Amino acid sequence: MLVLARRALILTLVTVLNSSTAFGAGAKLTQEYDLKATFLFHFAQFVEWPAETLPDKAPFTIGIIGNDPFGKSLDEIVANETIEGHKLVIRRFQNLGQIDSCQILFIAPSEGKRLDQLLSHLDRRSVLTVGDSRDFALRSGIIGFVISDKRLRLVINLAAANAAKLTISSKLLRQSEIVGPAPVRE
Amino acid sequence: MKAPRTTIRNKLVKAMMLTSTTVLLLMGVVFVAHDIVSFRRFLVEALVTRANILAANSTAALAFRNLEDATQVLDALKADPRMIAAGLYDERGHLFATYPPGAPSGGVPAESGPTGHRFDKSDLIVSQPVAEEGRRVGAIYLKSDLLELDDRVRVDVMVVLLAVLGSIGVAFALSTWLQRRIALPVLDLAKVVQSVSDDKDYSIRSKAVGDDEVGVLAEAFDEMLQEIQTRDKEIRLLNADLERRVVARTAEFEAANKELEAFSYSVSHDLRAPLRHIDGFVELLTKHASSTLDEKGRRHLATISGAARKMGALIDDLLAFSRMGRAEMRKTSVNLASLAEEVVQDLKVDAKDRRVDWKFGPLPTVHGDPAMLRLVFQNLFSNAIKYSGPRGAARIEVDAQPQNGEIVVSVRDNGVGFDPTYAHKLFGVFQRLHGPTEFEGTGIGLANVRRIVSRHGGRTWAEGAIGQGATFYFSLPK
Repeated sequence: MLVLARRALILTLVTVLNSSTAFGAGAKLTQEYDLKATFLFHFAQFVEWPAETLPDKAPFTIGIIGNDPFGKSLDEIVANETIEGHKLVIRRFQNLGQIDSCQILFIAPSEGKRLDQLLSHLDRRSVLTVGDSRDFALRSGIIGFVISDKRLRLVINLAAANAAKLTISSKLLRQSEIVGPAPVRE
Repeated sequence: MKAPRTTIRNKLVKAMMLTSTTVLLLMGVVFVAHDIVSFRRFLVEALVTRANILAANSTAALAFRNLEDATQVLDALKADPRMIAAGLYDERGHLFATYPPGAPSGGVPAESGPTGHRFDKSDLIVSQPVAEEGRRVGAIYLKSDLLELDDRVRVDVMVVLLAVLGSIGVAFALSTWLQRRIALPVLDLAKVVQSVSDDKDYSIRSKAVGDDEVGVLAEAFDEMLQEIQTRDKEIRLLNADLERRVVARTAEFEAANKELEAFSYSVSHDLRAPLRHIDGFVELLTKHASSTLDEKGRRHLATISGAARKMGALIDDLLAFSRMGRAEMRKTSVNLASLAEEVVQDLKVDAKDRRVDWKFGPLPTVHGDPAMLRLVFQNLFSNAIKYSGPRGAARIEVDAQPQNGEIVVSVRDNGVGFDPTYAHKLFGVFQRLHGPTEFEGTGIGLANVRRIVSRHGGRTWAEGAIGQGATFYFSLPK
């Protein structure tokens, strides 16, 4: 039953991804990623990282791996912003080895193929992984963006968050669909 | 003593009631005003608190653009019927969610306003920022009606009015009780003063007790009454004594007067008999011996006879005067005009050789003894004729004027007049201002006039100057 359900979900994800790619180029897509950029920034406010992973005066890093879909919008949003005294910085990574200190990592849709590899690499590290699909959360990513009813929604894998020792504010959870009792490994 | 227009009792009650009611009303106004101010503050605080709670609950909904959640957060407001409208605004200040959901435009402004609160006509509006971790993620707008404030004011006013009414009742009871304590001694005192003033009874005492000024007043009043009573007693005693003495003295005088009158009457009466003898025998002697006597002897006899007749006349007048003092008055209504007319007719017979120009004013009818009043006119008219003798034509004016409740009759002549220095002597017995050689008379006429007039309760007086005529007045009570 569970497996069936998962298959159905994957199908749905594919549909969503297709439809999201259907946004195609142009203003609509830009708008969508502007909003996603804002959300990325807001995650910093509604999620708590273990203190030892974020020493005082260390920058708060939002990382992007893969092809950056945000353009300049994310940089504009975090420009001159701080979160609890930490300066916000944006870093763009191309491969796993570059990821050292990072609090939020957006895994771009282009990384779909090596997603599991990425996630397992980040396993047990306090990194809030954010992906662009429902499937992302189901596959033990922590937060997935979902478009439904022309609205941007969140899917959260609470177990993955717990494994990463991240505390997600109940306020944020209220906004989201919670999936997966345990990290899914296939 | 006139009755007071208002009582001290009323004044006291009024003063106390006015004071307490005014104070209460003022306090009530202050209370209501203070309550309105503090209740408005309370309303603002409550609404700000509510806005803060809603803001805290809606941060994530705003941050992640969750309209359902934002609407749900705001929907909690439906538990409070006073909430009119509410709105949540996103980071850029655009309206994101409303209460009630899908509220008509205008109920909530499309853009977020400045932070703070303001009172509209009948609403209270609060705008607050929505922040997460010190970062603004949007704004909230709440609009509540002020019916609660109106109710509060209504209840406050009712409470104050009830308190004032109740207090007026209590104040009335208290002031009635207090005024009794204050006013009763005063009223007692006033009653005593009234009865003293009305009955002239100085033996009354107020006996009012009190430890205040009224007590002192009552005491002083009692002392005053004591003093007055003592003096009154003394005055009464003195008066009684005086009256007794006057009565005794009057009786003495009357006795002496009567004795004197009786004496003079008997003297006059007894003198007449020998005088008539002298006169009779001188006449006999004249008839009998006139042929034997020489011219000198006859002249002596004539002198004796004249002197005797004169003395007779004098005695007659004295007797008449004496009688006038004792004769009983027979008072009736007397027409002075006709009386004067009669007297003038009599006098015309006696003095045919005199030309007299009579002039009469209107004379009234009075109450008196006609015989005596006739004598008054007789004396005054004959005097007037007599003393205008040397002037040829005499002019005599008789008039009467009402004056100060009396009738003043005047008899004016154009005769020789008199020296006003001696005016007071005119009406005395045997007082003559002119020598007997100049004018005949016994000097009793005016004394008789005065006696008659004063027995009628009137007065007599005269005005005049030498050579300028004289006016004689007598007054009779109306």
